Amino acid sequence: MPNIVFRGPVLRSAALACLASIAAAALAGSQTFAAATIGAPITVPVPAPQKGSAESLKDEYRRPAEIPFPASNPFTPEKLKLGKTLYYDTRLSGSGAQSCASCHNPGYGWGDGLAKGVGDGMKELKRRSPTIVNAAWGLIFMWDGRAPSLEEQALGPIQAAVEMNMPIEKLLERLNSITEYKTLFEAAFPGEGITPAGIGKAIATFERTAISGWAPFDSWIDGDAKAISASAQRGFALFNGKAQCNTCHVGWNFTDDSFHDIGLPDADIGRGAFLGVAVKMRQAFKTPGLRDISRRSPFMHDGSMATLEAVVEHYDTGGVARPSRSDLIKPLGLTVEEKADLVAFLKTLSGSSDVIAQPIQPR
Amino acid sequence: MKRFSTFCYAFAVFGGVSAVAAVAADQSVHQKGRVFSVEALKVKTGEAVVFVNDDTVPHNVMSTSAGNEFNLGSVAPGTAMPVKFDKAGSVQVICAIHPRMKMTVTVD
Repeated sequence: MPNIVFRGPVLRSAALACLASIAAAALAGSQTFAAATIGAPITVPVPAPQKGSAESLKDEYRRPAEIPFPASNPFTPEKLKLGKTLYYDTRLSGSGAQSCASCHNPGYGWGDGLAKGVGDGMKELKRRSPTIVNAAWGLIFMWDGRAPSLEEQALGPIQAAVEMNMPIEKLLERLNSITEYKTLFEAAFPGEGITPAGIGKAIATFERTAISGWAPFDSWIDGDAKAISASAQRGFALFNGKAQCNTCHVGWNFTDDSFHDIGLPDADIGRGAFLGVAVKMRQAFKTPGLRDISRRSPFMHDGSMATLEAVVEHYDTGGVARPSRSDLIKPLGLTVEEKADLVAFLKTLSGSSDVIAQPIQPR
Repeated sequence: MKRFSTFCYAFAVFGGVSAVAAVAADQSVHQKGRVFSVEALKVKTGEAVVFVNDDTVPHNVMSTSAGNEFNLGSVAPGTAMPVKFDKAGSVQVICAIHPRMKMTVTVD
């Protein structure tokens, strides 16, 4: 690490950096400027990307062997049974007409197949219903990251007036009036009764079992060289190379669980509602995973793109250039063939799907 | 006016009172692999921590901890940014882009 030297041009750079910092604080509505002081940038060497073999690259995409359950909410069959029952129960909504599964339906890749979600009173919501597939591996939840855990996320839409519109006290009263639910809660949470925390833990436990099926891509990663087409294999190379998709769609579930403005033209501020002080968070949304992507159209947080071809076209152009747009988003210069290869690769990520049995609801 | 005078103070101290002033960077936080290289470190009041983006993607290191707020903005790979902490206390540092990246700087 070189010493930090402040002289000559660097001194002016430091002044500019300080000014920039003040401007940022002013923009953020900061009342004072008692803040840490930012020095001038220093150029440091960055190790060249490791040119590993195709096999070592594949290792980054191998499926995990087990579902991770947090120590604060370990798996039990009783919680799973209760959680699944709650997940499909329309009585969790104020209207009695919507369940979690209404918007996060396994038949549509655990989404709803609509451009925008539909909430209480059949009113359109402002964003597309995100999938819950592979949520067990999630770090932070909702398009804007407002839920820090799956347990908290589960309780959010139930209570949101525009979504399921069910005040928690009313929900507890309703569940307590259903004898069979008392039995299910007692089995899952002995001696605790019916509580908001129990509802969240049970639904989260069920959601963690919504796993994408074994896909042709997995067979290819596993060594079956013919499991995906030559075009898809070229697409995989592009995904990790020229198209740079893997800078955000990382690992076996194809997400960095992070926030990026990808230059879509809508006005939704996304993560900016929570971290607006960071310019790059204005109009940033959480990177969705790509598993089962063929079943999850339309795409993007605003549901504005009907096909994977349209998505690839968007990334090729780079979208709307603005200060908040991620520095990773820029025109790619893909050829027609390369775009087709990328789409062919993306279509190998959808797995076999099991029939999901819907539970009989308690009365 | 207060903002301006505070700026002048900060600039005088951190920018170097003389043209030959140099500040040794004895604490660095690396970001390779979308993680901070340390979860916690301690510095003395007035000391700098250098946030080194030795990763392959941009990072936006920042803090909203009172008295030690800073926001480096989007920092490209291959760039290190020194930040000097002038107020004692615990500083929660995050990358705005990557929520897995969290650490604490304790300023004594």
